[in-house]
Amino acid sequence: MEKNVVSSACEVCPQYNPDGLKKLGVNVENTDYVVALAGNPNTGKSTVFNALTGLRQHTGNWPGKTVTRAEGAFGYNDKTYKLVDLPGTYSLLSTSEDEEVARNFILFGKPDVTVIVVDAGRLERNLNLVLQILEITDKAVLCLNLMDEAKRNHVEVNERALAKRLGVPVVAASARFNKGIPELIDVISQVATGKIACKPHRITNVPKHINDAVKKLSDQIKQRFPNVPNSRWIAFRLLDGDQRIIEALREGEFEL
Amino acid sequence: MNVSGPLFNLLVFLGVLVLAYVLFRPTKGWFWLVANSVKTNHKVITEDVLKQLYTLENQGEHILKKEVVNSLHYNDGTLERVIATMEENGLVEELGQGEIRLTALGRDYALKIVRVHRLWEKYLAEKTGFDKTEWHARAEKMEHQLSHEETNVLATELGNPIYDPHGDPIPSHSGEYADIDGAHLNDLPVDTVGKIVHIEDEPEVYYRQILAENIHIGSVIRVVENTDRRVLFYAEGEEFILAPEVARNLTIEVLETQEELEELAVRLSALGTGEKAEILGISKECRGDSRRRLLDLGFVKGTPIQIDLVSPLQNPKAYLVKGTTIALRDDQAAKILIKKM
Amino acid sequence: MKDSVEDIIELSNDLRWKMGGDFHDHITESIYADASEIVEATVTTDSRKGRNAVDVTIDRIVTSRKWGFPIMFLVLGVVLWLTIIGANYPSGLLAELLLDSIHPALKSGAASLHFPWWLSGFLIDGVYLALAWVIAVMLPPMAIFFPLFTLLEDFGYLPRVAFNLDNLFKKAGAHGKQALTMSMGFGCNAAGVVATRIIDSPRERLIAIITNNFSLCNGRWPTQILIATIFVGAVVPKALSGTAAVLSVIGIAVLGMAFMFTSSWLLSKTVLKGQVSTFNLELPPYRPPRFWKTLYTSLIDRTLIVLWRAIVFAAPAGAVIWLISNIMIGDHSIAYWMINSLDGFGWLIGLNGVILVAYIVAIPANEIVIPTVLMLTVLVTGMSGGEGAGVMFELDSANATGEILKAGGWTLLTAVNLMLFSLLHNPCSTTIYTIYRETKSAKWTAVATLMPLIMGFVVTFLVAQVWRLF
Repeated sequence: MEKNVVSSACEVCPQYNPDGLKKLGVNVENTDYVVALAGNPNTGKSTVFNALTGLRQHTGNWPGKTVTRAEGAFGYNDKTYKLVDLPGTYSLLSTSEDEEVARNFILFGKPDVTVIVVDAGRLERNLNLVLQILEITDKAVLCLNLMDEAKRNHVEVNERALAKRLGVPVVAASARFNKGIPELIDVISQVATGKIACKPHRITNVPKHINDAVKKLSDQIKQRFPNVPNSRWIAFRLLDGDQRIIEALREGEFEL
Repeated sequence: MNVSGPLFNLLVFLGVLVLAYVLFRPTKGWFWLVANSVKTNHKVITEDVLKQLYTLENQGEHILKKEVVNSLHYNDGTLERVIATMEENGLVEELGQGEIRLTALGRDYALKIVRVHRLWEKYLAEKTGFDKTEWHARAEKMEHQLSHEETNVLATELGNPIYDPHGDPIPSHSGEYADIDGAHLNDLPVDTVGKIVHIEDEPEVYYRQILAENIHIGSVIRVVENTDRRVLFYAEGEEFILAPEVARNLTIEVLETQEELEELAVRLSALGTGEKAEILGISKECRGDSRRRLLDLGFVKGTPIQIDLVSPLQNPKAYLVKGTTIALRDDQAAKILIKKM
Repeated sequence: MKDSVEDIIELSNDLRWKMGGDFHDHITESIYADASEIVEATVTTDSRKGRNAVDVTIDRIVTSRKWGFPIMFLVLGVVLWLTIIGANYPSGLLAELLLDSIHPALKSGAASLHFPWWLSGFLIDGVYLALAWVIAVMLPPMAIFFPLFTLLEDFGYLPRVAFNLDNLFKKAGAHGKQALTMSMGFGCNAAGVVATRIIDSPRERLIAIITNNFSLCNGRWPTQILIATIFVGAVVPKALSGTAAVLSVIGIAVLGMAFMFTSSWLLSKTVLKGQVSTFNLELPPYRPPRFWKTLYTSLIDRTLIVLWRAIVFAAPAGAVIWLISNIMIGDHSIAYWMINSLDGFGWLIGLNGVILVAYIVAIPANEIVIPTVLMLTVLVTGMSGGEGAGVMFELDSANATGEILKAGGWTLLTAVNLMLFSLLHNPCSTTIYTIYRETKSAKWTAVATLMPLIMGFVVTFLVAQVWRLF
């Protein structure tokens, strides 16, 4: 298998084919791939969703607009993609309904690609969610949105370095002005089809006494479910007493 | 339809209001009184006696049956009958001269009730919005209602907590529990540095006073003055004064190594406009969803913070954290600890 | 195999017990520690952590002690003024088209096709007329109000309003964002209830949902203005009558806010005190709204969806109104019997049977209360005028409307109590349905429906009795 491990966005997005894109609106039946769209509230996630699908979901400058899950679809280079817009959340560790929805979809819905939309001007705060998602899934794309705003505020992000650190492709975009969307589509397709393999960052700064416990638990999980890619994250959740995960273990939702 | 004069109508309306008040006013309404007295059955009394004995024995006292009868407010006859039944069932044993004590079985049972009580307080603190002052009374009711299985489910859901929100250890399902080391605040010499590990919620008058002073569990304090009139101490950049009998309800774990750093801790609510600070952490007093949400928003150790905007009514204030402006109310800001720079 | 799963869970419980309670704190701290390392290595900023200077300037002004409140009231005033004034003309146009032109045309069309009288009555006088009324009264103000509101939202001003007002709402146990859902309620309560999604604290969200009905919505403004003009305007000297009418309507709206605060406080202290309560409010950066796109999405997302729901509920209401006025039991119509049986209770609370029946059948939409009242008044008094049994109508001049109402036995007390009852009664069925969808709880839906109704009965009853004492 020929796969290139990502080191920068530009290395992997050379050949965008503009004729290949078809915005399919609400025709979400029988698509080849499922793409989840996650991100903090108020990062322009819905704008990205609209730009990709041609739908016009309302987007407000106000956290908490998209509460229900919206779905749309697009086609690119003979493949069709279903796009699921998850509720905007700051984290996946808490217990609110929105976070439940987002978390369950990424974990149990097993999307082929998870696109994480972040505000380029507030990267640090957004990374909280990003790093959590990267613990769960290893097929992710980071969409560095609101680049225009960041530039206005003199914030500069080194996309190459970021992609290297996070181990997933990074695409800069200004979805409001349709910038970066073609590149994003191309990268999504490459991750979906396996042309790009991600090697996501895993949380490192865990205090020793916790890390030991996590290790012990995740080893046991790995032993029991050898094919689960995110045993460490499951261990995190178990140690936090997440009932849904305990239930999922008992119901055998991690088998495979 | 027979329509009467307006004055008569108003009087009827007033009558209905008064009746509704007498029947349904909170806790003392007749309806509640009747409903409660129906619930007070043999089991409840038994469990109350067990708990009372458990508490007294832990204080190392010899217990006379008469004292128990007097301290619990049931009418005498019922209580004596209940204690007799308890002896038959092997929960308590008589030692002669009116002295009684718990058997091993009785102790076990008592521990289970204590476990439910403390777990339920933890539950109320973490998962509901009930005010602190209501936790105890609600737990008093619930401790008689949960079965053994339900208690275990509750415990796992809460993550098998070790301490209840007042700092009391919660017995595990096998009956183990952590110790609390510490001394009563009023027994500590001047200049002792320690951490508040327990706040007693009975008697209620004292507890309310402690809450009104905004004293938080987990705070690091330094005793400044301790006389038989008053106890004065510093915590989180503020000064607190309590009467000795109130101070007795605070248990302090004495810290050997004087943590210089913690001494500088002040509450975010004390930050002035234009000042810069770094977050040290969130007080234990901030629980459940509120705590998690604050952490998610980036109120974590080491984060620089400053006031960005003050609302025209002075509260809330908006803080600049990790490049984002987030408004917090003053009572929340009082639960975030910072170090001014 | 099951056992090993239980082993894992057992081990996790064991480890948790040993680790103590701060797991969540530690994990979040570790994640942020990683995040800050990554940011350190990949992001360069000119002014460290500083916010955009323009944003800061705007914020300093709109949240200042001096200008914060005046700007807020000015903005709200302008939005409401544009809505009420701006909607007049298109509303009149729509009414002319739908009621004065199409309705007769449909009638004559039905006649030439030899429809039986009951079929054309049921379909055209009942269903069609109710729909036409709702569209004519509701569509124009919503088509103006929602886009304006959405523009403010997209710009980022609304969170600042919540920030400015939070302290007042906090005292009532509510969230500052309720100021916005309430303002939204001035447009439409159903939309206001949907807007409560921005409140992420369960308790405060329920409070905002249950009390949204105290915001006088678009469907109720015309009723208030009409009744105030006819009755309140008449008791003061002619030169002041316009002012008096306006002031009394504003008074009702302010009274609504007072009720909102009081019941918020009561709810937070009683039935809702067990619900989790948290607070946080992010003030996002300002973003220039994209005008046309906003216009389009707010029309589709808010206006048309709400209008569609109203239509779905109004159509059967029109049918019911026509039916109760035309189906006879003995010598009289069902409407007549209903009015008769409710007259006693109506009198007790300073209203009358006609008004109560009108409110019962007009649960789907407050817009059709006045037309129904007029039709029923003509029906029971047997006076000339109107369009016939079951045909709702309105008159061009307020005077002529006043004549009919006075002939129906209305006094100033009836008018005042109608204005109060119009503020304090159950939400319309669209809103009730929306509340159920948002809360997914029959209990809270019932509370939100019955609480204002009971308040309405109590208040109108007290006003009537005190009024009659003097």
